[in-house]
Amino acid sequence: MAEYLTCPFCGFEFLREDTLCEHGCPLGAMCGLVRCPNCQYEYPEKPQSLTWLQRVFRRPSPYTDLPAHVITVQELKPGERARVLCLGTGGPQRHNSLAVFGLVPGAEIALVQHHPSPVIQVEETELALDPAIAREVLVERVEPVAPPPQ
Amino acid sequence: MGQTTVLVGNPNVGKSVLFKNLTRRYVTVSNYPGTTVEVVRAKAAFDGREVEVVDTPGVNDLAPRSDEARVTRRLLDETAGATIVQVADAKNLRRALLLTLQLAELERPTVLVLNMYDELEERGRQIDIARLSEILGIPVVATVAPRNQGTQELIDALPLAAVPTVPDEVARAPGDEYGRNRVLLGYANEILSQTYTVARPPNPSARVRLGLMAMHPVKGVGVLAVVLFAVFWFVGLFGAGTLVDLLEVGVFEQRLNPLVIRATDVVLPFPHAHETEALTYSFGLPATPVHEVTVGSVEREVVRPSYVLDPGVDLSAVQEALRFVHDFLVGPYGAVTMALAYAFAIVLPIVTAFFLVFSILEDSGYFPRMAIMLNRVFRVMGLNGKAVLPMILGLGCDTMATMTTRILETRKERIVTTMLLALAVPCSAQLGVLLALMASLAPAGALVWLGLVVGVIFLVGWLTARVIGGESSDFILEIPPMRRPQLSNVLVKTASRLDWYLREVIPLFVVGTAILFLLDKLHLLSAIAQAAEPLVTGWLGLPKEMANAFLVGFMRRDFGAVYILDAATGPAAVLTPHQILVAMVTITLFMPCIANFLMIAKEHGMRTAVSMAAFIFPFAFFVGGVIHRLGVWLSI
Repeated sequence: MAEYLTCPFCGFEFLREDTLCEHGCPLGAMCGLVRCPNCQYEYPEKPQSLTWLQRVFRRPSPYTDLPAHVITVQELKPGERARVLCLGTGGPQRHNSLAVFGLVPGAEIALVQHHPSPVIQVEETELALDPAIAREVLVERVEPVAPPPQ
Repeated sequence: MGQTTVLVGNPNVGKSVLFKNLTRRYVTVSNYPGTTVEVVRAKAAFDGREVEVVDTPGVNDLAPRSDEARVTRRLLDETAGATIVQVADAKNLRRALLLTLQLAELERPTVLVLNMYDELEERGRQIDIARLSEILGIPVVATVAPRNQGTQELIDALPLAAVPTVPDEVARAPGDEYGRNRVLLGYANEILSQTYTVARPPNPSARVRLGLMAMHPVKGVGVLAVVLFAVFWFVGLFGAGTLVDLLEVGVFEQRLNPLVIRATDVVLPFPHAHETEALTYSFGLPATPVHEVTVGSVEREVVRPSYVLDPGVDLSAVQEALRFVHDFLVGPYGAVTMALAYAFAIVLPIVTAFFLVFSILEDSGYFPRMAIMLNRVFRVMGLNGKAVLPMILGLGCDTMATMTTRILETRKERIVTTMLLALAVPCSAQLGVLLALMASLAPAGALVWLGLVVGVIFLVGWLTARVIGGESSDFILEIPPMRRPQLSNVLVKTASRLDWYLREVIPLFVVGTAILFLLDKLHLLSAIAQAAEPLVTGWLGLPKEMANAFLVGFMRRDFGAVYILDAATGPAAVLTPHQILVAMVTITLFMPCIANFLMIAKEHGMRTAVSMAAFIFPFAFFVGGVIHRLGVWLSI
């Protein structure tokens, strides 16, 4: 199966069998890197797999290819304010149980903490959520509003 | 003008406090959502008019999804002519307005109450009440229910109640539930923009900071440790030590028992002589688990329940009958010397101490923060953090807690939690006795017990979740603000729980003792001990008299625990530390009491209750035996 690899450095596309790795590299199977035949840049062929620790404690967000300013609640830092854009998957039932607490697209929230469970503040309500929900709710950061002069 | 007034509102907004203000009838009030799970009714007189007031479980949404929402919804359908008093948390006006707009569809006369108005002002917010009233077309009243502020204004506003006015395009918005709620929220935002002003950003007060600390991943564990230690000191050492000594030795054994025994001997004479002994009672305050600061001591010559018949006298039939009644009242299994002494002198001081700290913790708003700490852990059992609340309430009373499992959303979660409550969460009465037992063990023994109970909770929880199957629900839990508990509410709540406890427990203790007494008289007690010997002595390695403890434990496991405590630390101590641990573990895993069994049957059906019992009792003996064998094998 002809599989094209793309060098992340120069963008050169090449076949794996065109690399040195396939032709008598002394490191052989022990080596996890490929070398671009164009610019000789070495890089790991597959994205580094997560360590078991990361697999247990950090589950990746279900989204790919989000615009840069759109993040999940999980990526907010404690104390940051954000505006809700989308409640994510989970169906109308979950959406509705979030909506009755005022958590709807357009609402402004603040992240209180991530661990041991994510807690966000919507208006004057502090709401504890499942980590699974925090990974799905999409928000954009809001610049902190300067307090009005006293 | 309706003759019925229904209090409706979001959870934890203070409906029950307002209910108490309106009717002067106490219902349990706490600082977390879901305290009220049933409809409560009471009559009240407002300026001479008699009105029925109804308190309902809190709802965020009128859609009947959870049990509480169904209860509230059904009630609203039944009371078609009623005035609706919607109670709102003034701080969370947006959410309250969502409910107001949903209630508007019912087209009933409504009054909106903005409760907790002081907390709103504390945070530097303001609501234009007159404008809000104008927009909605209904009376709006600000109250601070715990201080009874605004109650009269509410009563005055009731006759003015009107159907809320909602613009047509909002009221007739098409779409599903979620879509409609979004339209309603949009309109609520519009109302807010005209009525709600933010004056200044609040500075976090000490209470807010404490609230944040209690759910911090590291500091939260510290707070938990401090709370647990305080509870252990107050309940396990002060309640189960100082107070129990005072009542058991100082009051019952030194004064009350001898008095009752002498009185009985006068009324029911037959030739016998009671044993007497010199008994010292010392009053002390606990310093550490093993040290006590002695304040003073009293020594008295006391009469004990045990006696010998005068030699060479044959009792006539009448005398035999007198002796029977005498023994029933003051014998070794006497109603006074055993049932009342156990109930009043051992269990009562312990549960009083427990209910006091428990009420304080409840009103402070700490428990939901514990749910945050434990959410991820509870996921193992197919539960979520919400199930922490019934489990903690179970430490107060498992029967009540079984009822609060209604706040959980799926059947699986309700069954698993009910099962764990019945199996491994000790209730206040039993917990106190167990704490006293633990004080007689080495700290290692107490840790083994704790580790074992936690292990059993997870193992059985995980297994039950597997067997039952089904959905787990999302964890979305509102965290109430930390509040300073009010002394009056704490005292009233403790008193009402004690009242319930005494009514419930004392008859059962007396009946249990009477059964023991009859079995003893019929010489069946030793026969049962004989029959249970393979189990009690062979399998658990306990003296065969301990069969009694398990026998009464079927009725109430705290009764069984008191029996064990008596055998472990009483005047005639027979148990070694190893045996104490085995007996403790076995009785901990018993089903709490008959009332709990009946409550499970009521909530989940007789079949579920019976199959739980069929699992729990053999399992308790099984674990006890395993501990015994492990102990022997490790030669501890």
